[in-house]
Formats: sequence, C-alpha cells, structure tokens
Amino acid sequence: MTEQIDKALAREYEAGFVSDVESETFLPGLDEDVIRRISAMKDEPEWMLEWRLNAFRIWSEMEEPTWAHVHYPEIDFQSISYYSAPKSMKDKPKSLDEVDPELLRTYEKLGIPLIEQQMLAGIAVDAVFDSVSVVTTFREKLSEAGVIFCPISEAIQRYPDLVKKYLGSVVPTKDNYYAALNCAVFTDGSFVFIPKNTRCPMELSTYFRINEQNTGQFERTLIIAEEGSHVSYLEGCTAPQRDENQLHAAVVELVAMDNAEIKYSTVQNWYPGDENGKGGIYNFVTKRGICHTNAKISWTQVETGSSVTWKYPSCILKGDNSIGEFYSVALTRGRQQADTGTKMIHLGKNTRSTIISKGISAGKSNNSYRGLVRMNPGAQGARNFTQCDSLLIGDQCGAHTFPYVESRNPSAIVEHEATTSKVSDEQMFLCQQRGLDPEKAVSMIVNGFCKEVFKELPMEFAVEAGKLLEISLEGSVG
Amino acid sequence: MSNTKSLLTIKNLHASVEEKNIIKGLSLDIKPGEVHAIMGPNGAGKSTMGYVLSGRDGYSVESGSVTLDGEDLLEMETEERARAGLFLAFQYPVEIPGVSNLEFLKASVDAQRLARGEEAITSANFLKEAKAACKQVNLPIAFLKRGVNEGFSGGEKKRNELMQMLLLKPKLCILDETDSGLDIDAMQVVAAGVNSQRTEDRSFIVVTHYQRLLDYIKPDFVHVLSDGKIVKSGDASLAQELEAQGYAWLQSEPTEDELEG
Amino acid sequence: MSEWLTGAIARGQGISDWLAPKRAQALELLSQTAWPTRRTEAWRYTPLRSVERSIAKDQVQTTGLSPVDIADLHMTELVFVNGRFDVQQSSSELPTGLSIVLGSELNNADQALAIEQFSSIKPSRHLFGLVNDALASDVVVVAIAAGADIEKPIRISSLLSSGAEAHTRVQVKLGDGAKATVIEDVQAQGDTLSTAFVEYDIADNARLEHYRFALQTNTNVAIGGSHFNLNNKSKMHSTIVAFGSDLSRLDTDIIHAGEFADAKLNAMYLLDGKELFDLHATVEHAMPNGTTEENVRGIVADRARAVFNGRIHIHRDAQKTLAELNNRNLLMSDKAEINTKPELEIYADDVKCAHGATIAEIDKQALYYLQTRGVSRSKAQVMLNFGFINELIDLMPNAALAEWVRPIIRERFAQMEVK
Repeated sequence: MTEQIDKALAREYEAGFVSDVESETFLPGLDEDVIRRISAMKDEPEWMLEWRLNAFRIWSEMEEPTWAHVHYPEIDFQSISYYSAPKSMKDKPKSLDEVDPELLRTYEKLGIPLIEQQMLAGIAVDAVFDSVSVVTTFREKLSEAGVIFCPISEAIQRYPDLVKKYLGSVVPTKDNYYAALNCAVFTDGSFVFIPKNTRCPMELSTYFRINEQNTGQFERTLIIAEEGSHVSYLEGCTAPQRDENQLHAAVVELVAMDNAEIKYSTVQNWYPGDENGKGGIYNFVTKRGICHTNAKISWTQVETGSSVTWKYPSCILKGDNSIGEFYSVALTRGRQQADTGTKMIHLGKNTRSTIISKGISAGKSNNSYRGLVRMNPGAQGARNFTQCDSLLIGDQCGAHTFPYVESRNPSAIVEHEATTSKVSDEQMFLCQQRGLDPEKAVSMIVNGFCKEVFKELPMEFAVEAGKLLEISLEGSVG
Repeated sequence: MSNTKSLLTIKNLHASVEEKNIIKGLSLDIKPGEVHAIMGPNGAGKSTMGYVLSGRDGYSVESGSVTLDGEDLLEMETEERARAGLFLAFQYPVEIPGVSNLEFLKASVDAQRLARGEEAITSANFLKEAKAACKQVNLPIAFLKRGVNEGFSGGEKKRNELMQMLLLKPKLCILDETDSGLDIDAMQVVAAGVNSQRTEDRSFIVVTHYQRLLDYIKPDFVHVLSDGKIVKSGDASLAQELEAQGYAWLQSEPTEDELEG
Repeated sequence: MSEWLTGAIARGQGISDWLAPKRAQALELLSQTAWPTRRTEAWRYTPLRSVERSIAKDQVQTTGLSPVDIADLHMTELVFVNGRFDVQQSSSELPTGLSIVLGSELNNADQALAIEQFSSIKPSRHLFGLVNDALASDVVVVAIAAGADIEKPIRISSLLSSGAEAHTRVQVKLGDGAKATVIEDVQAQGDTLSTAFVEYDIADNARLEHYRFALQTNTNVAIGGSHFNLNNKSKMHSTIVAFGSDLSRLDTDIIHAGEFADAKLNAMYLLDGKELFDLHATVEHAMPNGTTEENVRGIVADRARAVFNGRIHIHRDAQKTLAELNNRNLLMSDKAEINTKPELEIYADDVKCAHGATIAEIDKQALYYLQTRGVSRSKAQVMLNFGFINELIDLMPNAALAEWVRPIIRERFAQMEVK
C-alpha cells in the first residue's frame, strides 16, 4: 500500500509549466518606496497611496502569527518581488485581440479559454496573471444588467466611492499580519458590484496565475451584493512548478446587504511542492464576509494545492436571520500542510451557520481544521451545526481538529462533531470484489466522503473538483 | 346519559403546526365514563389532537374552544391541564437520562396533589403505590430507579406510560397509538391496565390506526378523523367496518384535473 | 512578568532541601516563562488577575481545620493544613501494601527514586505546576505494593484557612497489578491561594479509581493538576466534580505509556455567581491499543464562566486507539459564558477518534413531557438540569461517595438561580 501511495505522490503537477511571457518585474524588496512605485504603476489616486502606506506602517509593527499547526522556514519579505506584469499589458489591451497570444495560450493550457466564443456560456472570467488582470470577459453583457465586474485596479479609478466605502470594511487593515501586508502591496484582483434586487445573469469567475519567479501574488477581491441581489462567484488558482517557495497573501471581502446572497466557490490548486516538500506556494489568505439582515454567504472550497495553507473563510452574521455556510474539502499529500477552517461570528438574532469540513490526509502531510463559532450576547435563538470529518490514508500523515466554541447567549444552540476514519479494508474489499481496481475504489470512497461539499459547488466546478481529487489520489491505495 | 354534564367538549377546533393547518373544525363531546376511539389514516391529525389538547409548544389554536369539566382548557399551561386531570399517553415517550423514574413520578404526583389541595403523600407510601403500579403493568421494580424511559424497549415505554396513568389517576386519558409497536401479549397487558382504570367518571380517548386494540378496550363510540375533522361517528361496529374497508373510501373522488396532472 | 511570579521565584530561590535540583530546574524554566496573557493559548479565556492581586502572606497558623466526614466511608487520610503535611490528622495505621512517607524522610535510595519521579509525569508546560515544583513544602510519597488491593480509599485533603497560600505535592505509585482508590479534595475558607498537584504512576495491570473534588468557595484561587501515567493493561477511572471560584483551574494529563491501557474521565462543573472554572484535559496516546472515554458536562448560571479544553493526541505509534470525548453544556443566563475547545491531533491512521461539543438549552421535548405530567416548568427545568449531571454521578464506581456528593450537588442546584 505504501508503495502505491509513494507512486501517487510522485505524480506530475499538470499546471506546473512556465509561460514565456516578457515581464516587467520589480527587484525584490519592500519599503515605502516600493509601495509608492506600485501605486504609481497603477496610476492610483492619493487616498489609495495613503491607505497603502498606513497599512505598511501597521504591518511593520506586527508579528507573524505562529499559532497555526504549520511549520515553514522564516519568510524573508525582502527577497520577494512585489510587482510583476507582462510587458504587453503596459498599454492596456482594449480587447482580446490585443492580448499577448502567449497569455491566452497559458490560460487555454490550463483549461480556461478566454476567447468568449469558446467559453461555456454563462461564465464571465477575470484572469489575473501575476500582479495584473489581463482580461475580463463578458463585461458588456454584465453591464446591461448593471453588474460591475472588473479588475480592482480599474474600480479604484472608476468607482472610487464604492471602493473607499467598502475596502477594508470587512477585513480591517490591522486584522492580521498577512492582511496588513496585502493592504500595503496588493496589486490586482476582482471587483464585483451587484445592484439592488438583481440576480447576476451569469457565474463570475476569477482565475489566478502566478508565473514569475520570486514574486508574491497579493490579490484583493471585493464583492458587494446590494439589497436583494444574488451572485455566484468562482475562483481558481495555479502556479508553475518551482523549487522556491512563493507567497500568495490574498484578501477577499464580501458584503451581503439585506436579503442578498453571495455564493463563493474556490478550487485552489497552487503548486504544492515536490514530494520532499521543496517549492510550492505559501497560501496565506484572509477571506471574510459580512451578512446583513436575512442575507446569506456561502463559502465552498476545494483545497488541493499549496505547500502551506493558512486560510479561514469566515462570516460575520450581523443582521438578524442571516445565514453563513462553510463547505470545505482539503486534501493534503506529500509534505503539504493545511491549517484551514472558518469563523462564524453570530451577532444577530436567529442567525444560522453550518460548517461541513472534510479533511483528507495522505503521504507525510498534515491537515488541520481550525474553526471558531462565537455566539454573542445578542444572538438570541442562533444556531450552529459543525461537522468535521477526517480521512487518513497511510500511517505517515496527520489529521487534526481545533475547534473553538464560545457562547454567551443561553438561547443559542451550538453542536460540534468531529470524527476520524480511514478507508477501511472492508470498503476496499467490497469494491474490489465487485470488480473495481483499488485506485478507482479509493477515489470512489473519497468522492463519497466529500459528496456533501461537492454538491454545493456549481456544476462545472464540481466536475473539475472531482477530477482534481481523482488525479491527486491516483494509485494512492492498493 | 344525555343529561350528564360533559367532561370534555371540543367545539369547531382549528389548530396548526408551523403555520400548517392540521386540525380543521374538530368537534367532540365526551361524558364521564365514556370510551371514545379515534381512528383514521396517517396524517389525519390524530397525534396532533393530543398535542393540542395537552398544550404542546408550537401547536397553536386558531379558533374554536375546548373545555374540560367546564373549564377553558386552552387558557391553561401544559402542567395546569395535567393537574386538571388530562393525561396523554405518548406514542413515542421521550427518554430523560439522569432523572430517575421514581423521582419523576413523585414530582408529578406531588404537583398534582398540591394543585388539588390534597395532602402530600409520604415517600414511603408513594414507594408502596409505585411498586404496586409496577407490578400491575408487569414492569420490574428496578425500573423505578432507572432514568425515565432510558433504554426501555418500546413495550416497556408504553407500560411505563400506563404506570404513570395508574399513579396520577386522571379524569381524561388520551392514549396516542398506545398499541403501535406492541405484540399481542404486550397489548393485552396494556389493555388490561386500561380496563382496570375504567370507572364511572373516568373517560378515555383511544387513538389508534387499527381496530385490533379495540377488541380489548371496547369503545362506546368510534369516530373517524380525516383531514383534521371527524367525518363519521358510530358505535363499536364502525371499527370493524373500517378494518374491512380500510380508509381509502375517505379520499374524495379525484377530479379530472388531478387525474391528468 | 507579574509581581506575583517574581515573588514566587524569589521565595523558591530561598528554599534549599532534598528537592534542590528539581526546584532549580523549575525556577530556570519559570524565569524564561512569560506571564500568560489573553494571547497565551493555555490561558486564552482565563485571566490571572486574581493571582496577580494575591499577596503572599506569612504562614497562617490555624488549628481546628479537619477533613469533612463522608458517611459510610472509612478512608486512609492524608491531610495538609495550609500546605503543611499534618501528621496528627493523617492516618498512622495503614493497610498492608500501602506506605505513605514524606519525601524528606525517605532513605537515600527511595529519595533518589522520588526525585527521579518528580515532575516526570506532570508536563513542564503547566506554569503553576512549575510554581508548585519550586514552592511545594515537601512531597508526600504514596506507594501501593505490587498486587496489593487497597480497599479503603486514600483521601488527600488540602485544608486552607483564610489568608493562606499553600502548595501541596503528592506522588502516587501503584505497583504491578495493584488496586487503589484515591480522592483529592480541597477545602478552603475565605481568601486563599493554592496549587495542588498529584502525579500518578500506574504500573502494568494496575487499577486506579480516582476522584477530584473542587468544591471550594468563591474567594479561593485554586489551581491544580492530576497527571496519570498508564502502563500496559492498566486502567483508570476518574471523576471530577467542580464548583467554580474567583479562579479555579485544573489540568489533567492522561498518558498512555503502555499498550492496552484504558482511561475513563467523567467531569462535571456547576458554576454560579461570578465563578470561573477552567478544565484543561489532555490525553496522550503514545502506545497502541489504548482506549479513552471522556464525558464532560457543565451548567453555567448567573455571571459565571466555564472553560473547557479537551485535547486528544494520538501519536504515530498509537495504532488501534479508540478515543472519544463528549462535552455538553447548558447555559442558564444572559451573562454566563462557555468557551469550549475539544481538540484532536492524530498521527496514526488505524484509529477511531471522535469528539463532540454542544451548548444548548434544555431538551424541549423532555420539558414538555414533564409538564404533561403536571410538573411546573421551573421545577421541570431544575429536574432536567440535575438529571443532566446526575447521569455522571450514577457512573461513579464508589456508591458511598456518590451518595455523599449527590446532595451537595442538589444543594448547589437549589442555590443556582434558574432564570
């Protein structure tokens, strides 16, 4: 069995190629001057630069968090380049025809065609390549519905009032070390605005790609769903296979006004490093949404990549009757380490939250669920249900659960359950007796284990996630 | 008999659960000493009737009236109804681990005696009564020390309900599908217990899906409950009729729309 | 660093006795330890203000303190008064197979053993465990000979009078196949500060029945630990009953150091007023085939606060482990607070581990059932609350102890206002 696992761990990372795109990249290093240059590259207004500089000062005084169940060598923040953009983007292509064909080929290779005619109807894509957004599709169709979907750098120019009002409103600058860093150096990301009582006519999607060596990616996403609106947003990520670790420190903020609903799905497949733990992405991400009255935010994530993941998509259930959901599949193998989970902060009356977390550990990896459920004094009649299940494949991995449950309201009900199991010999025997090969059997069992989460994903993503899991587990048990 | 004052009078009762109307115009008059059987298909509102009469949270009365011994039942709290003499034998009695059966029974009896202005019973006397009741319903004495219904089999739970009835001596007993899940022997024990409690001034509502139980507890009246109201009443022979025909005849003739839809 | 800790270290440095090498180690570690703040994970929900406020006093001399009687129960008594071992009140006639000796009075060979044992089971991460290492007046060494079955429970009482600060320390060693019952009890009056740590080494096939009663009053600062080392095929069954106080903190460590060991831990806390109780229960499965079952239940009323941290750690080699933890809480008032953190850390694949934590209202169905029998709502609530705890009392193996503590808990319920 171990042999087969090893074989599986040695599998190729299919998104690991490097694109030959000529880039303009800052020299490594971080100081106020670098921030001024980033801001200047983006032609930002003065207030934005001030906001960044303030964040940089805050960050400089902060300490890197150490509480997560992950271990990695100290990051030298001066050895990272904080800006890299394809040269061809300098003059901002007006249409797809002007985009460097090499860039388009990159996304095509990743299975994300950006040529609208080739696309599955119904998904608009914003493609972020290193530090800049290269193209956003279907913008005209969306604007007919009043939906704004554009790179955040563009939103800063065109919708400064919205950006000023909401940027940092959910994740304050000083929230945590990586969030503060992101505030100082973020380069691009997506901006979404759904007007009142509007159902976004198609799925929105951002595809993140790190290409350059020694660069970090610091994207920033802001989604605002006005009263009674609805949007489903998808996010995918890959990076080339490189021996050095690269840092990805993103911030995502969601604002769901009264009766609005935001569904945010992620399939994260950053380069996980090789079987010895060399290389791979450090994925240190802060994602948080705020729900006003009757609003709903649903996070679904399938995490299979990155060498180290530190990520807790959370909901602040501020409005009465608001709903927060977190559905997660995290698969670690090789030397991967994941510390991921969610925070559900119940402030309003009758708020509800559901947490379903499925962790699968293989190889020599460590997979932790870390979560917080807090019932504040005002959370009259609030409820939470949490289910954390871990599946261990092989005897060299670790599966951990660190839930924090805090209640200060006697009418609130919190239920937390966690279990751990392995793929049992009986299950394997049954499948094999029925004629399935062991690989298929394991992937079937694991898929079954994750079913509750996959069913939350939009159709196209569910298929991709299932495939991703299957590839990741190829031959992992015999 | 018609001159006798009624024990329970339900007039045009409408009640709902989670905003769904279940009881839709139920009327029923029960005189002391009478045994009424309520039969009907699943979903007719049989169990709901018991919950509404006993005052369960979440079951709200929309309109109509219910009096027990001339008192407005609907104005009372659940425990006040119990003290007024209403007893509901549950179809699925809840388990309460950690609270012993004996402690529970004593608390119930004490509360009811106090409410009726009766003298409190001494622990020794109560234990004697409880043991006798255990014996009568065929439950081992050891069950008094166990948690309420904790780990009891289906039959034991039903007998435990019956034992409570023996001790509490209510005026009106509602037996909610007491026969469900019982084999013929257990059913006979339960029926014998019920019959032993039939007196001139104690009345019973026997809710059941099958006629079987009524072979042992002979009803004075049989009512068919369907879609929240009584659609047919008769004497014991109606039960036999139902057994033979089933409840299908209650379904109104389907309209053409429904047939096509 | 707090003034209190600085003072404690200074006092520790002034002691020179047979434990000197161990005390020095502890002092060294303490001097490197930062005083806990809210960012210190082990003290995240438990502020140490009441310790900081406390001022070390000279030894308070009191007579007339004696352990409470437990009806129907004859015990071997081991009594500390204000931190000092009280020879008069402690039993002098001991059953065959049991020895109780002060560490300072042991012969050289046994003393060397006691030094070796000292803090070998209690992990060094416990701040107040280190304080106890440095300040314990002496160590009482309890040894149960191999194969001995000591029927009479051994009670370790720590009696405190107002103003006292006391640091008590006991080592208990059960030989191969030995059986014993140990009761730990702290009884305090007025303002006191105490640390009480006991280390248990349970040899192959031995069985320990353990109780820890923390029924102190609200002005006490009571910090302590019970630490168990389980060898092959040994068994332990522990019951903890706690009321809170200004600050009441208990750390338990159960270490499966041998195979096929079995541990059961039932803990209950009933908190009222402004009390705080904090239980940190850690289980280390270092060897295969062990089983652990933990049931922790609490009711928190008024402005009280409960903290529970239940960690189960399955090491790489601990295959075929079965471990389960269940924490259930009832919150009785708007001002009360519960913080619970059940943790699993698992490095072996062929294991069955689960934990669950709930914070809930009283079971509404059960409440309705009681009401249909004529019991008033408020009385029904009390009955159900008591039942919730009573289930664990029923699991106490020693019936006499259960019957002793049941009315004490009942009385506490009567005090706890049901809102």
